[in-house]
Amino acid sequence: MAALSLESASRTITENASRLGQRLQESFSEHTRDLAITRGSSLYLEPDDKGKNIRNQLDSSSDREKLDAMKRLVALISKGRNVSEYFAQVVKNVASQNLEIRKLVYIYLLRYAEHEPDLALLSINTFQKDLTDHNPLIRAMALRVLSGIKVPMIGSIVVLAIKKCAADMSPYVRKAAAFAIPKCYELDSSHLPALIEIISSLLRDRSPLSIGSVAVAFEAVCPTRLDMLHQQYRRLCRILVDVDEWGQIDLLNLLLRYARTMLPRPTEDEIDNDVKFLLTSAEPLFQSRNPAVVLAAARVFYYTGPPSYHSRLVQPLLRLLHTSKEVERVVIAYVHALSHSNPSLFSPFYHQFLIRTDDFRQVKQDKIKVLLLLANFETHQAILREFIDCADDPDDQVVSEVIRAIGRCAHSIPECTQQCLTALITMIKSQRDAVVSSAVMVLKYLVQSQLTAASSSSFASVAATAQQSPLKIIEQLARRIDDIRHAQARACVLWLVGQYSASNEPTKGPEGVVEWAPDILRKAAKSFSAESPLAKLQIITLAAKLLVLCPSDRKLSLISGYVFSLAKFDLNYDVRDRARSITSLLSGLALSEVVGLKDPDQESRGGVVLRREQVRLVLFEGKVGVADTEDAFDPKSAVLGSLGMITQKPMHGDSILPDWLERGVESSLRDSPDDAPPPPPPPTSVSSSTPHISRAKGLASPVVLSPSGGSPTGANKTQYTDLDAFYADDNGADDESDGSEEEDSEEESGEEEEEDEAEEQRNHG
Amino acid sequence: MAIDGLIILDNTGRPIIQSGFRSTSAAYPMLHVDAFNNALPKSHRSGDIDPVIYVPPYNVADSPSACCHVECADMRILCPVSGDVDPLFAFAFLQTFIDILREYFGALSAATLKDNFDVVYQLLEETLDAGGHPLTTSPNALRDIVLPPSLLSKLLSVAGANLNSTINSGSGGGPFSSPIPWRKAGLRYNSNEIYFDMVEDLTAIVNKHGTTLSCSVWGKIETNAKLSGTPDCLLTFTNPHVITDCAFHPCIRLQRWKRDSSMSFVPPDGHFTLAEYRYTPTATATSARFISTGPPSAALAAKENIPIPFLLKPTVELTDSGGTFEFKLTSRMPSQTMEALVAEMYLGEGAGGVKCVASRGDGGGNLGRRAHDTMSTGGSATGSWTFDAKKMAVRWELPVVPPSSVWLLRGSFTSPSSGPRPAHALQVRFTVPSYTFSSLKIDQLKVTGETYKPYKGVRGKTSGNVEWRW
Repeated sequence: MAALSLESASRTITENASRLGQRLQESFSEHTRDLAITRGSSLYLEPDDKGKNIRNQLDSSSDREKLDAMKRLVALISKGRNVSEYFAQVVKNVASQNLEIRKLVYIYLLRYAEHEPDLALLSINTFQKDLTDHNPLIRAMALRVLSGIKVPMIGSIVVLAIKKCAADMSPYVRKAAAFAIPKCYELDSSHLPALIEIISSLLRDRSPLSIGSVAVAFEAVCPTRLDMLHQQYRRLCRILVDVDEWGQIDLLNLLLRYARTMLPRPTEDEIDNDVKFLLTSAEPLFQSRNPAVVLAAARVFYYTGPPSYHSRLVQPLLRLLHTSKEVERVVIAYVHALSHSNPSLFSPFYHQFLIRTDDFRQVKQDKIKVLLLLANFETHQAILREFIDCADDPDDQVVSEVIRAIGRCAHSIPECTQQCLTALITMIKSQRDAVVSSAVMVLKYLVQSQLTAASSSSFASVAATAQQSPLKIIEQLARRIDDIRHAQARACVLWLVGQYSASNEPTKGPEGVVEWAPDILRKAAKSFSAESPLAKLQIITLAAKLLVLCPSDRKLSLISGYVFSLAKFDLNYDVRDRARSITSLLSGLALSEVVGLKDPDQESRGGVVLRREQVRLVLFEGKVGVADTEDAFDPKSAVLGSLGMITQKPMHGDSILPDWLERGVESSLRDSPDDAPPPPPPPTSVSSSTPHISRAKGLASPVVLSPSGGSPTGANKTQYTDLDAFYADDNGADDESDGSEEEDSEEESGEEEEEDEAEEQRNHG
Repeated sequence: MAIDGLIILDNTGRPIIQSGFRSTSAAYPMLHVDAFNNALPKSHRSGDIDPVIYVPPYNVADSPSACCHVECADMRILCPVSGDVDPLFAFAFLQTFIDILREYFGALSAATLKDNFDVVYQLLEETLDAGGHPLTTSPNALRDIVLPPSLLSKLLSVAGANLNSTINSGSGGGPFSSPIPWRKAGLRYNSNEIYFDMVEDLTAIVNKHGTTLSCSVWGKIETNAKLSGTPDCLLTFTNPHVITDCAFHPCIRLQRWKRDSSMSFVPPDGHFTLAEYRYTPTATATSARFISTGPPSAALAAKENIPIPFLLKPTVELTDSGGTFEFKLTSRMPSQTMEALVAEMYLGEGAGGVKCVASRGDGGGNLGRRAHDTMSTGGSATGSWTFDAKKMAVRWELPVVPPSSVWLLRGSFTSPSSGPRPAHALQVRFTVPSYTFSSLKIDQLKVTGETYKPYKGVRGKTSGNVEWRW
């Protein structure tokens, strides 16, 4: 009997094989043009395809023709052509027996259902029928199309469909159902109660596969209904490790929000057990290969953990720096934000942020900022050396940034001020415009802040003992004025010379001013016409200041007069205005021999005329206190892991993390029978402690996705021993047995289905 | 978290394939393509373009967005994001998608994707929901839903594709039948094999005095599994303490690793990266160094005890109109041969007139004879150099560097009037086959749950990227 059936089976196989062979041959001889298959599908992308007779092809009875037509349509879509005119013909093929055609039809429908809602409405019956297809792929696709049709009229049909799919036995379909919820809500918000009900049933889903999409639906539809999570919180924490990587991100963010809203603020001494549970559950995710998961876990640690927990996110973030250049770019920005509030986290690892010449410009700039924050007593030597090395960078923007950093370093760590000054003065001698100008600007800032400090406090002694006192630095700058070509830098040096040229020591030159100052004015006057407006303004100021300090020197008055008269007829109105205001300010000095100051109308004009001491006050006092401009963007304002932190610009829709409540909600709210500690590993789980899987059950045995949470079931248990103790009172084993029963029944039905399929095939054969 | 979509550009900056941008205006994807194409020529060095480009809103009412992008063969893949989405999410998805494309098409190029655009569209549809949420990204599960392009499937589709669906449901029980999300169900192999490649990468920065400023070795265990059924593997190491900061494929049971540093997993089918790790030199060496020099803890963490496998002596002199350089490279590998060594130096905007002489020094010491042999047999006894006019960099290539050999490159270049602006560092890249820095050793691989004994293979490979400043 058995032999007979075997024989007949083999005969059918050979028959089938020969038929297949025949068919292949036929198709080949019939359609020789199909030899183009070796060229791939790119021929569909060629420009001459005008879409003619696609309609006929779609209506033809041959699957091959239909497939060809669908490929051409998809090709047209990819070229940005609107092919919605074929909608009616395409929809007819949605019930095609051929999976390939069907998928392409769905791709088409997914794109055009929103644009052609009326036509899509005509085919709603087909989609509804597909929801009962035996293939989970088709069921999910049908739901995706159905929820994509933007006609409020069908809202209730969609809700029904979602409800049906939410109870589907395939987690893949349940996932699709969860993703469809936000779309349905957008379509018609009046279905909210029904949708919330579906979400709450999906939240109880035992499979970790779909839970991530449920979190998405929750955030989109009812983000404020965190109370729905009370009963699920601990279970969600527990299955976190088994959720797929994308779901982990959404789930972590949801749990973070829940913790911040519902749990008491943790302190160093007292951490709520539920907060602690979240942290212990999130920690294994630092070992995810997905950088976004690692960051989401880091967010949880940063925003729910007390400060002592923050150190745990350091190594995982540092690991990400090596993932790829793009990831490095983003992570560095986050590290910058983190170091802003707590530099000690990353300062032992400053060497991870050393600048490479092949880094992106943005990465270099962020690394400089990070290094600056990490500079402290121990690390400043190495960091300063790095900055000085980096000043050779070929990129001018990076160079000016790093030189500014040197200045700030000198300011914040007094021990290295001397070293910074030496480095900056060496840089002034550089050939490079960018280096010189930045160095001058930074020196100005340093000199001024030092002089302010010296005049105001006991810091004077430090300044005096330093080999290069601020005045010495100005002198050095002044002597190199010919080499400084950058407009802003020149203006800056000129201003410094004027501001700090007062001197009581007897010199060879005019008394009252330092020896080298008048020569600077001479040089500047000589090149006045060639200067930039910025420098011209400062030359006028310099001339006025020197004149006030030493009104008796004839040469000085003559040069100043020359400058003023040139300035009065300058092309730039700012320069002319400045010259006029300065000359009238100086009118009280009664320097008749100075050409520029001779004002014919002086007598008649009247008004207040300032004495020399008063002019001096106006010109010199109140000029200090310049501040080095800080970053305009405050990294603290953005939440870690948001786009705004990377673009440094406000992105609408930036979420704001809720602050802790004074006291969290009652902890017993979260008690649920689900919280029973998982029983000893079920015999079916893939766990090395129980290697003997009941193989009799075949492939469909619930190998991993057991309800208590996937892969390392056996191993999982051990970690939570302390929590097992914590939940020991409300231990209920019933839940677990429930779960496995459910699983079993699912499996059985799966097997049945398989058998059915097999039977069908046999019938076909 | 959700991305807005995906756009694949060819090397002329024109979109080839894009996902449907359903929730945004039709102008939105074009806005991002333009933002990228505008940013590209503005980059100061070729390829130096911020991976996250801020895209201002098109209308006042719209919210601003950002364009995350990565280079992939001769294409760029753009991923627009908006709102408060973490850009890491976009980059993680881009990487996953590229890996999937590689899995399907092997070596990627714009031409390959155009050839298989229908498959790419199916992949896009299956990996990305209309709302921008990733759906199915496990290659094993995807292979059930979207058939990889093979000659067979093309033949079948020509021959009338009813067979297609039959095959699909026949072999593995249809899509999503596997109880393990990352593994196909019902696999059968005649010979069961599993291969592990330990691929390590050294990144280091050396300053002009030859002192190592930072140095780290990151490794990957790349695996190729061809095992039948549902095998449960247990991989143990003889020296697991040399690795830290691990990242694992989802198949690995984290608790088991935590408990006894062994990797227990049911592998996916085919190629995958089992784990990534950082090599930490042995604890004894670290503590010894700590006692001898007694640096503060910061310095302890600063330099790991990993020697750079070569010595470089760069001498560069700059003049107003150019410069001369001389690089002397000595291999410090005890017995291994470095391969494909490429040293590159950016010469600055507008540099040109590069003239070089590459030669081989007479180093080699006691290994001189062997080195001589290589010299006489190998075609490129002196190494070669090129000037990359696009990247403005001089490139020095040494295909084979035997142990203790010495190599020289002398040359000069000219610069425009503003003076030479070379990068003050050389980038040196190399590979060492059959060698790992960590010498991480697999103790054994136990397979339970199946009756067969698989064939196992382990290989090591090292690459390096060292920045040597001058």
